[in-house]
Amino acid sequence: MASAGSGDEKAAAAAMITLISSDNEKFEVTEATATLSQTIRHMIEDGCTDGGVPLPNVTSKILARVIEYCKKHATAAAGEEGSSSSFSDAAFLEVDRAFLEELEEFDDAFLEVDRATLFDLILAANYLDIKGLLNLTCQKVADSVKGKTPEQIREMYNIVNDLTPEEEAEIRRETQWAFE
Amino acid sequence: MSSEDGSNSMTGGRRRCISPAAASMPDVDDLLIEILLRLPPTPSSLPRASLVCKRWRRLVSAPAFARSFRARHRRNAPLLGFFTQRESSISFTSTLDPPDRLPSEHFSLDLDEDRCRILSCRHGLVLIHNPMDPQFLVWEPVTGDLSHVALPPEFSDGGSLVFQHAAVLRTPGDAGEGHSIPFLVALVGSDRTSTRVFACVYSSHTGAWGNIISTACPSNVPMYASSTMIGSCLYWLLGPMMAILEFDLDRCFLAVIDAPLNNCYYDVFQHRVMPAEGGGLGFLCLSGCNAQLWMRKMSSDGIAGWVLRRTIELDKLLSLNSEGALLILGLAEEDNMSFLLNGIDVTMVQLGSNQVKELFPIQNIGIHHPFASVYTAGMGICGGHDGAEPLHDT
Repeated sequence: MASAGSGDEKAAAAAMITLISSDNEKFEVTEATATLSQTIRHMIEDGCTDGGVPLPNVTSKILARVIEYCKKHATAAAGEEGSSSSFSDAAFLEVDRAFLEELEEFDDAFLEVDRATLFDLILAANYLDIKGLLNLTCQKVADSVKGKTPEQIREMYNIVNDLTPEEEAEIRRETQWAFE
Repeated sequence: MSSEDGSNSMTGGRRRCISPAAASMPDVDDLLIEILLRLPPTPSSLPRASLVCKRWRRLVSAPAFARSFRARHRRNAPLLGFFTQRESSISFTSTLDPPDRLPSEHFSLDLDEDRCRILSCRHGLVLIHNPMDPQFLVWEPVTGDLSHVALPPEFSDGGSLVFQHAAVLRTPGDAGEGHSIPFLVALVGSDRTSTRVFACVYSSHTGAWGNIISTACPSNVPMYASSTMIGSCLYWLLGPMMAILEFDLDRCFLAVIDAPLNNCYYDVFQHRVMPAEGGGLGFLCLSGCNAQLWMRKMSSDGIAGWVLRRTIELDKLLSLNSEGALLILGLAEEDNMSFLLNGIDVTMVQLGSNQVKELFPIQNIGIHHPFASVYTAGMGICGGHDGAEPLHDT
């Protein structure tokens, strides 16, 4: 039995994963945090995480933010599992609700970044395959253009208008009502 | 650096140097698509996005994008307006403000038969019945798709049953990638002596009608007005002595439920089944200048009964027109939005928040069929210039 105990300790120690950013910074995270990324989950399943997981597409600045997101949401996921067994207990439901609110507040605060960081987070969420983060960041960009005119959207994101005047006139003619 | 002046930014925006510090949208089309799919489902969203640049236009014009956009927003589709029918033509009236006010001609349908009738409008589909050629037309105004569904033989000429009404809806699940979501047609009818109600469901997925079920229904058919959907149940009001027919699609079960007002004659312009506040079966009754909101509740001894939840004094919300009584023209079940006729003016009243929107003088007395849908037409569909899409028979 003693050996089983030390085995558990080994498993706990092994459950830490090292992520290595493009600028060679190392981040120690728990497996629960790391596996919010489907990409890393598959690497763990394939047993190729020994010596750290190099993430050549993610800078240390962005990786730190991504880990911050994953830590919070991994705790949330663990919290949900823990409380589901006591679903009849009103106090637990109250805790769940409070936790969800806290998570929402966290997400809102998390998104308070400049646009360049937001786009870097989208790229990282996509590369690491973290669905929740991808949804959150893409929704933030979509919300930012809500109700804006095409001119305002181009202005915001420095998009060059490469439509010919004829194409522009055609779109306006086809959907004139949308520009009233 | 950016000008607030629209005309200036138009010329300034074109071929402007990009500031090196500026963030730019992801180069990967798939990621830009993820962002564009999350634009709000209001009608002006995609036309405006398509005018940003060639790349945006190309992405939002792809038919696969339009399908994904409709599928993603189908559960929060905005109320675009309503359909009314005059003789053989079905016309659309928008209830949204610019820039989301779609012109009427975007969704018009001419039928060759003026006895056709709109039966139901739900989940972006319009169900039309043609009595001369016993079949239903299922019209999807946004894509222009038109499907024909023949009535089951029992309800056709020479059959033993009489068709009364029908409802259209989409199946609850999501469609597979690139497929449109199947629709259902729920048909209700009676026997020739009007003592039983019969029902069955057609699925566009299987292309066939399911089994016919029935229940006793003493002298309460025919049905006049469109159904209301609450949860997985469809409800029709029965007359002349008012009662409610419940068709539970999940359990495939029919029941006749008493209406809140005992021994009351059903009036299509005064009474409506509607979702109760907080879900469940509810009922709207106009009485003078009051709107009564009823709710079906289970009592402590397990017997279901009606409770009057709230009375809205409409004369305090609207300046009532002296020319006539208030009439219910339609009800958008998902928004709890009622269309009321106040004298000669159509008014929308949101029954949850009591918000009122005055629309316009009535053009067409008759049932107003609210139409909620995600508008993607004109975006790569046929490339039509005036928005009128040819009808595709499927």
